[in-house]
Amino acid sequence: MQKATKRDQALVQIRGLKKNYETPAGEFPALKGIDLEIEQGEFVAMLGKSGAGKSTLINMLTGIDRPTTGEIVVGSQQVHTLNEEQIAVWRGRSVGVIFQFFQLMPSLTCVENVMLPMDFGNLYHNQRSRYQRAMHLLEQMEIAEHAHKPPSAVSGGQRQRVAIARALANDPDFIAADEPTGSLDSKTADAVFRLFEEMVAQGKTILMATHDRDLASRVSRQLLLVDGKIVDDSKG
Amino acid sequence: MEQTPKTYTARPRWLKVLLDIWENRSRTALVVASIAVGVFAVGMIISTYVILATDMEESYGGSNPANIQIRTRPFDEDFVKIIAKLPGVRQVEGRNRTSLRLSQDEGKTWRSLRVIAIDDFENSEIFIRESVEGKTVPADREILLESRILEEFDVEVGETLQIQLSSGTVRELEVTGLVRDQSIEGGPNAQAVAYITMDTLTWLGQEPSFNRLMITVEGDNIDLANIEAVSQIVEDRLEESNMPLISVINSPSNEHPSSVTVLAILSVLGAMGGLMLVLGGSLIANTLTALLNQQMRQIGVMKLVGARNLQVISMYLVLIILLGLISLVVSIPLAAWGGYQFALFFGDLLSISIGSFRFVPRAIVVQALIAIFIPILAGIFPVISGSRLTVEEAISDDSASKDGGSGRFFEKLGESMEWISRPLLISIRNTFRNVRRLSLTLFTLTVAGGIFIAVFNMQASLNNFIGSVTGLFKADISVSLSRPYREIEIASLVESIPGVADTEMWLSALGDTPKGDGSDIVFTIQAPPAASDLIAPNITQGRFLQEGDTNAIVVAETIWADLPELKAGDTIEMGINDGRAEEWTVVGIFSFPERDADFILSYAPYEIISQQTNNVGRGTVLKVVLDEQTLVNQERYANTLDTLFQDEGIRFESIEEGMTTLESVSEAISTLVSFFLGMAVLTAVVGSIGLAGTMSMNVMERIREIGILRAIGAVDSAVMSSVLVEGVFIGFISWLLGIAVCVPISYGLLTMVSLAITNSVMPMVFSATGFWLWFLVIIGLSAIASIIPARNASRLTIREVLAYE
Repeated sequence: MQKATKRDQALVQIRGLKKNYETPAGEFPALKGIDLEIEQGEFVAMLGKSGAGKSTLINMLTGIDRPTTGEIVVGSQQVHTLNEEQIAVWRGRSVGVIFQFFQLMPSLTCVENVMLPMDFGNLYHNQRSRYQRAMHLLEQMEIAEHAHKPPSAVSGGQRQRVAIARALANDPDFIAADEPTGSLDSKTADAVFRLFEEMVAQGKTILMATHDRDLASRVSRQLLLVDGKIVDDSKG
Repeated sequence: MEQTPKTYTARPRWLKVLLDIWENRSRTALVVASIAVGVFAVGMIISTYVILATDMEESYGGSNPANIQIRTRPFDEDFVKIIAKLPGVRQVEGRNRTSLRLSQDEGKTWRSLRVIAIDDFENSEIFIRESVEGKTVPADREILLESRILEEFDVEVGETLQIQLSSGTVRELEVTGLVRDQSIEGGPNAQAVAYITMDTLTWLGQEPSFNRLMITVEGDNIDLANIEAVSQIVEDRLEESNMPLISVINSPSNEHPSSVTVLAILSVLGAMGGLMLVLGGSLIANTLTALLNQQMRQIGVMKLVGARNLQVISMYLVLIILLGLISLVVSIPLAAWGGYQFALFFGDLLSISIGSFRFVPRAIVVQALIAIFIPILAGIFPVISGSRLTVEEAISDDSASKDGGSGRFFEKLGESMEWISRPLLISIRNTFRNVRRLSLTLFTLTVAGGIFIAVFNMQASLNNFIGSVTGLFKADISVSLSRPYREIEIASLVESIPGVADTEMWLSALGDTPKGDGSDIVFTIQAPPAASDLIAPNITQGRFLQEGDTNAIVVAETIWADLPELKAGDTIEMGINDGRAEEWTVVGIFSFPERDADFILSYAPYEIISQQTNNVGRGTVLKVVLDEQTLVNQERYANTLDTLFQDEGIRFESIEEGMTTLESVSEAISTLVSFFLGMAVLTAVVGSIGLAGTMSMNVMERIREIGILRAIGAVDSAVMSSVLVEGVFIGFISWLLGIAVCVPISYGLLTMVSLAITNSVMPMVFSATGFWLWFLVIIGLSAIASIIPARNASRLTIREVLAYE
């Protein structure tokens, strides 16, 4: 793996990032040259309409998709230089990803879902310590009592808490969340958001794509994407 | 709520594998059934194969079978001693085989019984009889019965039987034992056989002489060449003693009398095993591909949280292996049981003693290999391609818009063929949306259909063969006379025997025609009277002989080996018995079972042949028709004729019972036909499970699409008919392909079976029954297999369907 030559202040550095998609109608530019730096401990909200490129940017940062051109460095890792296998290992250990629709494994219980990244990443020595950590995270998310239920047996908000706990399983510095409150009611969305705030208070860095301007107004920095470009970058 | 504290010793990924099996029990059952049915079929076939082969060899070899069985004129113990001293002869026993009439109801009804008289049961070491019940050594005036008699007669040990002598006198014999004799051929028409001492034979009014020699050879008793060499020495000695050789059977010690049939069955079993393996393999590939398609999103999520390709691959390989192991656990006992039952069935039919139930290690090993490696082979491609999917591809939610590239083709099809309704077009388009899945499904169903139809073609071909053979063996007894005898003399003598219905005198002659290369083609001519009822060959070209025919000849298809262009209506130059060549018209050509026969059988009018050979009113072949047309009766009258002709000084070369050849062939064929029908049912079951599985998986995969359709206003019936048309359409395509595939399968199976039975290839007959029966089966199954999952899908609410994971 190629490491970044300059380990400076910013946890996330994006330079000249472009992403084009091939469509039957021709090439579609989803991201048109993004330059961005996110400092350690920042809580960044990314606003924009559907199709503005929010999810594409999240996918680029987490290695879910590959840029057409440009550089992405997260921590000390040049993400754009990694192959699929290296990205999977890196993502498992260094990034937490949260989706609007939770993406939990339906056959596993909540605690098993949280243990899964530790299992794949071979972290935390043994099953006992993995279990203890998973339970600890679920307690933090205030859903320990549902630990042994399958995701289908808990509510949407509770599922998202499990998904957050899973994202924190391997203690990543950086968490990317794509519309994490999009499918939750306002009360639940607020509770989930408070969890994010707690995570930032503990030193985590979060990039959150959202449509919710109220929630976005509560974070330290807001980005506005329009047609694949960052048109506003304001710190509140 | 109070939670039960848990400790985790298993990694979540392995828990997921186990839970995937346990929590999707209906899907697991489907996959297990797909694997198990192929593993079961192969295991059962191997079990049957091994049990039949080993038990046949053990039980037959264990009875110390005769390597040479000679039937000749009566002889005594002194002659047996002479034979015993010949080089190469290890053991020899004389036996008397005759026929008697048996009654169980004080003479109200009589049946024929074949009786074997042995001089010294205590020291009889050839074809050792195995005890079933009671004694194995009868005292004088006692009788032992071969156990298969129970299939025909209801007899018990201790019962007294009435035996009628040729003089009409009735004697009583007590049944003191039931035995099993490996020398007796089994089959649907197996004869009732009994054993008595020579003293009892005398008491029953028969001559105390032998008419059969049972010989075992020194040295290699499974080497036919060795056996034939010894047989030649014995035959030469018989000739020296002026003893005519009525029949001789040479057989190795490991060759059961039914071995021809068994060989045919075993070779077909092997071929069926191979086909079932192909069928099972495609079924497994099909089901696993569908299973992995369902897991794509989960694979994406696992990769999202850090799973590497190898970890994903190993998880799904373990899942596949576990499913294979479950299938193995299910199929091993079922296959062992089925194989044993099959072996018992054939053993009973073919007179092979089958030992107790057992598991066949070879079958289990092959089953284990199939259950583990075939699913891995079938699943490795989808597993690897699944593991290589990027997270984005795996979790992106556009499954409803995936098309496999066929969409535009069907758009154009719809535009050009406006008469096709839109829903029908969607169904047909859906059929092709996953081309790989469709190919696998079609492959499975096509192979199943091919086997199913081929089985019926085989049945028709075998029945056709029986039909063609039957016409050649209509007389009950054929006697080849040593010289021409006056018809009136022989007919009046034979027709005076009670039980003889009719006689005909034929002539036999040799005809020769130049081949063109300096050599001659020799015809073996049989000349029946023009009005003969005793010959009806299966004419494939032209016609048979008619009254008024002059130089007309009907020849067997074997002529084509020498004259491939010959057809009905052609003329040939032919001389009879080295006489002057004349022009003969080939009026017909008939099929003959042995295409490789080294003679060309032909029929010409008696009236002409008798004139040309100066034998008008005389014949060299006596054809006898009896009132009771059973093999036992034919044998009985053959003995009577033997005695009569000796007494009258009429010299003959052989006496043959008409049903002997036919019976052994038809036994084998009727056994095979029942076996093939069993195979057809098994194939239909495998195919059905495959289709049901595929359609279920198909609908499960499309459940979100169904939800979308319903959300935009499609009613349940529209959803169901869409799925139904798709299923039936797949069934219909597979039926068309099955018709094509059945041709090579039919030829392959028929070649194997007919080579084993007749040492020649029987003509293929295609049966419409198989085609239409499979059509009904496949269309019915397609409909059922589609309707059930479609109904289940239509019962879900739109919310449930769209949230389906």
